[in-house]
Amino acid sequence: MRIVVAEARVPFVRDGAELHAQSLVTQLRRRGHEAESVALPFHGRKHELLEEAAAWRMLNLSSSNARPIDLLIATRFPTWFARHPRKVVWLIHQHRAAYDLYGTPYSDFTSSDADTRLRARLAELDSKMFAECERIVTNAQNTADRVQRFNGVAARPLYHPPPLADRLRSGPYGGDILLVARLEPLKRVDLAIRAMAHVPPPTRLVIVGDGSQRAALEREAAQSPAADRIEFKGPVWGDSVADLYAGARGVLYAPFDEDYGYVTLEAFLAARPVITAKDSGGPLEFVRDGVNGFVCDADAMALAAAINRLADRSLAERLGRAGQSVARTITWDGVIEHLLG
Amino acid sequence: MTPLRILILEAQVPFVHGGAEILVRELAAALTARGHHAQIVAVPFTDSPKDEILAGADAWRLLDVTKAAGGDVDLVIATKFPTYFARHPRKVLWLVHQHRAAYELAGTRFSDFAHTPRDVALRKRLIDTDTRMLRECVGHFTIARTVSERMLKYNAIASEALYNPPKLAQRLHDGPYGDYVLTVTRLEHVKRVDLAIDTFAKTSASMRLLIAGDGSIRHELAEYIERRGLRDRVMLLGRVEDDALIELYAGCRAVLFAPYQEDYGYVTLEAFLSRKPVITANDSGGTLEFVVDGVNGYVCEPTPDALAAAANRLAKDAALAAELGARGHGVAAHITWDNVVDQLTANPQGPRRSTSVTIQ
Repeated sequence: MRIVVAEARVPFVRDGAELHAQSLVTQLRRRGHEAESVALPFHGRKHELLEEAAAWRMLNLSSSNARPIDLLIATRFPTWFARHPRKVVWLIHQHRAAYDLYGTPYSDFTSSDADTRLRARLAELDSKMFAECERIVTNAQNTADRVQRFNGVAARPLYHPPPLADRLRSGPYGGDILLVARLEPLKRVDLAIRAMAHVPPPTRLVIVGDGSQRAALEREAAQSPAADRIEFKGPVWGDSVADLYAGARGVLYAPFDEDYGYVTLEAFLAARPVITAKDSGGPLEFVRDGVNGFVCDADAMALAAAINRLADRSLAERLGRAGQSVARTITWDGVIEHLLG
Repeated sequence: MTPLRILILEAQVPFVHGGAEILVRELAAALTARGHHAQIVAVPFTDSPKDEILAGADAWRLLDVTKAAGGDVDLVIATKFPTYFARHPRKVLWLVHQHRAAYELAGTRFSDFAHTPRDVALRKRLIDTDTRMLRECVGHFTIARTVSERMLKYNAIASEALYNPPKLAQRLHDGPYGDYVLTVTRLEHVKRVDLAIDTFAKTSASMRLLIAGDGSIRHELAEYIERRGLRDRVMLLGRVEDDALIELYAGCRAVLFAPYQEDYGYVTLEAFLSRKPVITANDSGGTLEFVVDGVNGYVCEPTPDALAAAANRLAKDAALAAELGARGHGVAAHITWDNVVDQLTANPQGPRRSTSVTIQ
């Protein structure tokens, strides 16, 4: 089949969603399909959302160079606005600021009349676009719950392996707690930094990633009593991240209501236990407290307590191995079979 | 030099990978090599049905290319239609081509625009809108003189042709002047591969034609070769990997490239960098900026007889092919990416124009 995977990207940013689309293209090609991605720039600022959706609506992707395109796979807002007779949505996320994030500090929507109207309009348009689609699956249960709640669409999650899957391996259980995240408010890296004040030496926190909050987080870390045990690695990709996973004691991943989050599965594939929070969303679909990691209250003390339990190396290993067997059941073959129907 | 944050605007045709896609990637690499932060923004483009053409252009107008992660975008470089519909105070044009079917191809067999009131009106609208969008640019460059001439003729906008070396420039090399003529082309009607095939019905039997490339009319051409009984003389090689292509260039007697009004075409320069003469037609457009008849190749009437006469001269005389090819090399060796980057990133002259226009 000739398949277009539609994505939306902020220029100069690489994130999980982009990797998701690229992995899908690679996997489709590996199975003999002609696949290509289409990516329009997207900024997500409130006053531009309708224009950005309209730009996608302008695109008729039913053919290219006089040959039909058989299937369009839409991934995130506003890619499902594109026109195609056979659209399948593999929903990564809607425009969360207008949906579940509304009313939290992470949304730029206020309770003004204009914003309320815009939110209603977006939900209405999304629902209308979803009605055009042949099928809707989501990347995670959390995303499926939201689309059910806000758009009345029944969708089931379709889990896929993280992009690093082929490179991850397990190594010795070293002394570092690893945190991999874009340094944005939703990822709550500040919680981990505060937790370190309650973690005794020699345990260290190693933070991989970059983002708008980096300078603020570095300042906060510098003021911590554990300042010399908190390291910012900046952006790290590929084998270098795999090496960090392979040698960590455990992985801390406690974002606010994440959709899916590759980090959980990446940690598990490297046989590392995952510490997460009760309101972290996606990770909770995989992390079982005391079985393959810890599910804590979203506060520094609770996270610190979990980190301190991993001082027991054999416990870290036992939980990590249990996580690994969960993550290994998730395969691309299953994903593609379902998407192509 | 202050590094600039640059977006290169690309009109993507999904599943088609031709010269324009290579050009954009090479430009990004050349900008990055000079210390700039460059990224490609691609919006898919479709021209069928024709009503979709302006919708695709509107999409560019709706998108914001002035901002990216971490701040403002300093410069956008527009390439093909309709990328120059984007809004940016520093929009520099390096025009690959406009929507040719609405321009010089209209009225030829290569265009789907007919002489109906509806199509004529759409053409006029496209050209008028193009003119407005192109005027917004603060710098006007094209990839070739043909493209500049066309923009001057239809849009009354002056520009400078800015040549870039072909992708394989660093790797191409010379070799023996063998017993085949090479054509490298996408297999589309406008490339006039049928003309090259017809030519080889009239050349001396010792010379074969090898055609590297793929495209939508491959089966049609394969049947045509059969029908003309040229199976032993003309071979469709399909898509050829770079390494193999370099060797094909290195070992050929000459390169035949006679498309209809090609804008630029890397093939001419690739042939020259391999020290091979180029046989082309006097209506082939871009090739004529480099090929001088009798000096580094042959410029013929677009007929099988005329092209075959040129091929036969080179078939008889390998030393002549080497001599013409060496002169071609001298022409191609002067074209560099450094010059392209300097021109495109130079400070725009004159006041910035307002870009607040919206299309109706």
